[in-house]
Amino acid sequence: MSLLRLRAALLGPARLRGAGIPWSVLRTYSSASAKEKARRNAICERTELLEVLKARVKQLQASNVPEMMVNKVDLAPLGNDKYQDLLEKVVAPGPAEEQLTPRGRGESPARPRNWVEKSKEEMYIRQLKVERKLSIAASRLALEGQAKAKRKDKAKAKAKAKKRLKKPEAKVAAAQSHAGSHNVYAHSKPKVVAVKEAAKAQRPQGVLKNKDSSQHKVLQQTIQSNLECFLFLQQPEEAERFLLLYHRSPVKRRLLNANAYNIVMRIWARKGCLQRVNRLFSMMESVGLQPSLDSYAAVLECMGRNQSCTKAIQRCMQQLKNDGFHVDELFQKCLFEEDEKEKVLRAIRIVQPNYQLPPPPSPQTCKSYLLQDFYSKEKMVSYPKLDFSVQELQERFQQQLEMELNNTITIESVESTKPLTPQAIKARKLLTTLRSRWHDSILQALQKSKHSMSKLKTVSGYNILYPYLCLLPDEEYVGIMLQILNTLSPQGESLAVLARELGSKVYNRYITQRKLRSRQLEKPDEYLPREYWEKLVAEAGFGPSLNLKDCSWPYMLIMRLGMHMLELLVHAVKVPRNALNPHLEHKLIPVLYHVYSFRSSWQIGLIKPHPIFSQIVSDAAETLLTFNSSAMPMLCPPVPWTSPHFGAFVLNDTKLMRFVDGAIQHQLLLDQCPPVNLHPVLDALNQLGNCAWKINQPVLDIIISIFNDKGNEKLDIPPPISEAPRPPAIPSNYSTMNKSQKHELLLYKKKTAEMHSLRMDALYKLSIANYVRDKVFWFPHNMDFRGRTYPCPPYFNHLGNDVTRAILLFAEGKPLGPKGLDWLKIHLINLTGLKKRNALQERLEYANEIMEEILDSADHPLTGRKWWMNTDEPWQALACCMEIAKASRSPDPAAYISHFPVHQDGSCNGLQHYAALGRDLIGAISVNLMPCDVPQDVYSAVAQQVEEFRKKDAEQGVKIAQVLQGFISRKVVKQTVMTVVYGVTRYGGRLQMEKRLKEIDEFPEEYLWEASHYLVKQVFNGIKEMFSATRDIQNWLTESAKLIAQSGQTVEWVTPLGLPIVQPYYRSKSTVLNCSMQHLSVKSSNSNQKPDTVKQKNAFPPNFIHSLDSTHMMLTALHCLRQGMTFVSVHDCYWTHALTVDIMNQICRQQFVALHSEKILQDLSNFMLEKYCRSGRETRAPWQKKLMEQLSNVPKTGKFNLKKVMDSTYFFS
Amino acid sequence: MLAGRAPPGAAACRRLLAAALAAGLRPLLCGLRPCWATARRAAGQWPSPGLRVPEAAEAERLVQQAQQLQRIRAPLRRFIACPQLARTVQRCLQGGAGPGPRPVLLECAPGPGILTRTLLNAGVRVVALESNSAFLPNLQSLENSLDGQLKVIYGDFFRLDPLVTGTVKPPAVCSDKLFETMGVAAVPWRADVPLKIFGILPQRKERNTLWRLLFALYECSSIYRYGRVELNIFISEKEYKVLTAKPGEVRAYQALTILWQVGCEIQLLHMEPWSSFVTNLKNGGRAVPKSTWLPNDHLCLVRLTPQQNLFTGGLKPTNSSTFIFMVKQCLARPKSRLTDRLNSWSLDNGGKLLRELEIPDSAETRSLYPEDYRRLFEALQNSNMFTETWFHDEVLDSIRNINL
Repeated sequence: MSLLRLRAALLGPARLRGAGIPWSVLRTYSSASAKEKARRNAICERTELLEVLKARVKQLQASNVPEMMVNKVDLAPLGNDKYQDLLEKVVAPGPAEEQLTPRGRGESPARPRNWVEKSKEEMYIRQLKVERKLSIAASRLALEGQAKAKRKDKAKAKAKAKKRLKKPEAKVAAAQSHAGSHNVYAHSKPKVVAVKEAAKAQRPQGVLKNKDSSQHKVLQQTIQSNLECFLFLQQPEEAERFLLLYHRSPVKRRLLNANAYNIVMRIWARKGCLQRVNRLFSMMESVGLQPSLDSYAAVLECMGRNQSCTKAIQRCMQQLKNDGFHVDELFQKCLFEEDEKEKVLRAIRIVQPNYQLPPPPSPQTCKSYLLQDFYSKEKMVSYPKLDFSVQELQERFQQQLEMELNNTITIESVESTKPLTPQAIKARKLLTTLRSRWHDSILQALQKSKHSMSKLKTVSGYNILYPYLCLLPDEEYVGIMLQILNTLSPQGESLAVLARELGSKVYNRYITQRKLRSRQLEKPDEYLPREYWEKLVAEAGFGPSLNLKDCSWPYMLIMRLGMHMLELLVHAVKVPRNALNPHLEHKLIPVLYHVYSFRSSWQIGLIKPHPIFSQIVSDAAETLLTFNSSAMPMLCPPVPWTSPHFGAFVLNDTKLMRFVDGAIQHQLLLDQCPPVNLHPVLDALNQLGNCAWKINQPVLDIIISIFNDKGNEKLDIPPPISEAPRPPAIPSNYSTMNKSQKHELLLYKKKTAEMHSLRMDALYKLSIANYVRDKVFWFPHNMDFRGRTYPCPPYFNHLGNDVTRAILLFAEGKPLGPKGLDWLKIHLINLTGLKKRNALQERLEYANEIMEEILDSADHPLTGRKWWMNTDEPWQALACCMEIAKASRSPDPAAYISHFPVHQDGSCNGLQHYAALGRDLIGAISVNLMPCDVPQDVYSAVAQQVEEFRKKDAEQGVKIAQVLQGFISRKVVKQTVMTVVYGVTRYGGRLQMEKRLKEIDEFPEEYLWEASHYLVKQVFNGIKEMFSATRDIQNWLTESAKLIAQSGQTVEWVTPLGLPIVQPYYRSKSTVLNCSMQHLSVKSSNSNQKPDTVKQKNAFPPNFIHSLDSTHMMLTALHCLRQGMTFVSVHDCYWTHALTVDIMNQICRQQFVALHSEKILQDLSNFMLEKYCRSGRETRAPWQKKLMEQLSNVPKTGKFNLKKVMDSTYFFS
Repeated sequence: MLAGRAPPGAAACRRLLAAALAAGLRPLLCGLRPCWATARRAAGQWPSPGLRVPEAAEAERLVQQAQQLQRIRAPLRRFIACPQLARTVQRCLQGGAGPGPRPVLLECAPGPGILTRTLLNAGVRVVALESNSAFLPNLQSLENSLDGQLKVIYGDFFRLDPLVTGTVKPPAVCSDKLFETMGVAAVPWRADVPLKIFGILPQRKERNTLWRLLFALYECSSIYRYGRVELNIFISEKEYKVLTAKPGEVRAYQALTILWQVGCEIQLLHMEPWSSFVTNLKNGGRAVPKSTWLPNDHLCLVRLTPQQNLFTGGLKPTNSSTFIFMVKQCLARPKSRLTDRLNSWSLDNGGKLLRELEIPDSAETRSLYPEDYRRLFEALQNSNMFTETWFHDEVLDSIRNINL
């Protein structure tokens, strides 16, 4: 049972998992990401100026704060006097109150004097009579109101002053523009004044709003995570010292919330120091913070630990009730670690010996209309079951747990079967000695830096990183750094990426340790098998213990930690210069060097390994690969998602929703959302994750044999570097190379780098597949912010390419049934890409015609006629051939147990949703929403339409239309039509067209621009004609998003399944991280930032459609679950057993109809009206009126009868 | 006027306007004795053709008209419109010339031709390289009216030798074509200036252009293949401050500074407020760029004459890219210490080398004089430190990135 408590609580970022740097990242490195980083770097300079201004603003704020604080200090105790009672009496049984103060002073000299004074003040106030307090409280309210009004007036006045000041300044500037450079000073002065004024004018508002700003939140998060470190390290003194740092300063104090005090209280509570806990309690009150349930939990825990006397506990519980809490709530809402719960319970039972834990809250069910059937059925679902015993499942769970406890896993790569060369043996030996040397020097460097940090701590201020370097044993940090060194590619990596990697590895390991520490894993034997998960989840509900105790680290902190470790690594790791060439003199040189790469005017810091190191590594040809345990498929069914913070891996930190680094909006939104609304989505993810897989061993063996031979580019098996083209001859003296030689060399380097990354990617995938070849495994799922689902393990999963898909089979087998073999055959033809426009029956007939080829491919894949090699998806086709061969040769094909997944693809799924939304008749026909004998092809239809336009124009003498005669084909328009749904613009569309036209050799080059321009216009027109409502909807969505973004808000909506969605596009802002090696500019997420209008606007239609297609997929998944079928999806491609294809098809159509029968657009409009134009405000700005008008004006729909989808064969096929 | 009556068909209108432009500026030719003229021509000094130089307002109108002829919005350009400014510039350009034959002057983007006429009147042989076809008819008719003193070429100096592969589409031009048309032959590096160039750097591409010119200079490619071409360019005051910054100056002292100061003699000829220039903006705005750190109230006419002894030491056109790379790396973080930089490249002998060069160990990269960098490079070159393979890869990389 204790496992149920296992809270994945910790919502740390999913951003940072995965072993090493994915090679795919490297591939794209040179383009987008690099530019991005470069841009960030360049912002540094500008931010410095901002920094100066900010500092000034702060200064101004600080000097003004005392007034306000005085107010607070005077008034705060009034609200809290009721606690004084508690304080007094709780302390009474122990040492007398008078003793408390002096002792406290003696123990921590750093303790502020004001605290003592304040406690005296409080004592004084305590003596005041209640009536008087009440009257003061009332007057305070009145005062506050006045103060607010005054502040407003002040602000207005200041704003006016500012305006007045600005004018003269402008004049000065104009008058002096002819003069010499000295005038800079002349008009910079008024500017400064203006800025000051502005700062003053904004201040009152700033103070009021400050608490909500996300800058504030990030700072709070930093404080909290720091305190939690101390909690983890069990260092109460340090924690208190840190807390006092903030508590002492009136400005900084505002960053503290009850949580911060609670954490420190918890640390003391664990030590059983009741006095300390009490003191913190009163400190919290003294600054006017309300004690929360957690505060009481800490006090009670401490009392439980101390076996305090009944009276004290009673008083405490009385106080708790006075604050409006209930004792039961402690166990329902608080999160406990280690033995905290028992201790609290013990304390309560001292007072109430018969106290029983409250029963879990009764589960709620989702009330969505779409899922009425799904949730209302009384009968339990018949799960797709695997014949495991409970015992087996427990073993599997144990294995998975062990793997995750180790954090990393090292496996043999598929290349290990190759014989070792003497050179490799030598290199490996060298590498081993070097590594042990590196290990020692890194360890030394780490200890040295920690030592100097701990010293520094006592002298000046506080080193923020120090506690983070103490969380794990030193060896672990060294291990993490060495791991980074091993995975560094020869081309190097940007500092930011490496720093993030290092920081997050530490974070992940810390999370694992914490989970371990919190005893959630104490009794894994009690773990119950998967069949009961559902029930257990229902029993436990989303009870308190599954919920989070927020402890994620701020992004900046992760980066800072990572940068520190990276600096250590760069400085500590050295290699002898003569390692490869003994003729050189012996000298240690750094393995990693730091250079800048320049992209136009930006610069990016890179860490590159020395060629000597790369050479040794490549010579050694090591065949061991180390992955993060979360990169592997799970060996037991994933832990079901029960809340946004709990699910998927047993220990590894997983996010329910993937998002970009530092974005916090999604998480906030999910947390705000009532849990019951998320149930359908969570259930769908659980269903997808619960699909068990196994490896198609014969296919894997063939692939590995080709991979270890020479690869095959045509079959998408990347060849090894040894197969790369010869390098161009390099003259001995580099500088004598001419330009073309240099160019050639560059191209060669680029090519080899590409080959290398492709090869490594395939190596990872195949090695993981090989490692699990005899096992049953699972892919836990999560989703992106639009609800599209993805498997968590990054390298090997069913979303991969043809090769990876071909080696995956369902672990569960089902008989083919009467139609199964036919479905297999049709599936095979689908995979070949032939007969796309033929009816299913024709495809089946074709398959029967070429049965001989199919059997030959299955029997002699590499030596036969190789029919399979010339298909669209050769490896899946081969796997399918083999399955057909086996099935058809079995005595009774209908009884043949098949594990093979059969796919059904939506035809242009985005347009299908648009057509259904708009009830577009012509559109619906062309994307197969209407039943037809043969599949319709929307691309051909658009091409035809465009051709018609062209003819008309040509007749009217439009030159370019005449030139284009005979060039308009399906192929030319396909990409643009496909991407129209995803918001391609005319600009992008034209580039696509130009590319296609360039591929046609006969097309006259001089007309490229004009022709592509013309074509894209006509394609848009064509789509407009065919999908008349679609364009309307798209425009409506775009325009609405534009107005919303312009009003300074972000676009949000809720899917029909209840998933809240927010578009995370803001005008980027970055913060500069000053590190000794390099200043790093880090994009900070800031929900206060202004939305990026262009992105918000352009991305809304595709994001909205994606949220619909994911909803459709989830609905299908859930209803398939009801039917006890296996179901997985690759976005708009649904997989199931051959036996159940027909049922899945039916469900898929039913759910599509059900989904679009909802008033999706009307609901969206209502939601947005409610959100963005809430009525009740007396004055409406013009933009608000405009927005309201826009949002209310839902586009009209056409005449398509949605029910027809039910009978459409080619809707998904 | 004729244009006023004509039906406003776009093409017709454009033709008429062009004709009107040409007519309005028909040169006033005066007769001169031919033999006298020939003698002076040989020395690069032509007789004054006595052209009428339009007033500022007229020039501004011409720019606006040309702008209206454009189908697509042209990028921001600046022109000299005021005859007085034109005379100042002309005097600056001719100042400091030796007794020898005067080189040809290539005027980039003359636009309405105010400076062109002033220069012609001063007896200078001018090649006008104009990228906007709307200005061409006017210039061409001027060319035809003169006896070879002016040559008009359609092309854009700031799109010289484009790096993209494939055919060069006008107004982009190839330097060899351009020099062939101008009739300027290549001379050895140490010889005199073979060509003077005048232009106003386009605001948006200012820094980019400076970098590209720099690469061309160090590689002796593009215009510098023909010898030490003298650039007379208007750049923003901000960039001027960068080019002439002294070591240690925060923000202004950059890699660009060092490389230009090593490569060229930099002379400030004239400073002119932004407001004296006419832009091609529709609203007639001046589009003065803002600058936060450095003063930027003027456009500065700067003469950049390549150093005669640039390639006499260890620096060669073949290894100069390594030099550029080295300087850029050093100045990427101006506050870092030079020794740290050298160490971070695994060039271990750093300390010893710096001692030999008498550079203090604690020197920040921004406190070194340009000549120090040159000496440092030469010392590194001699000590064979650049033979480490990785350094070449990086240089290659950086060339590719900057040159694009």
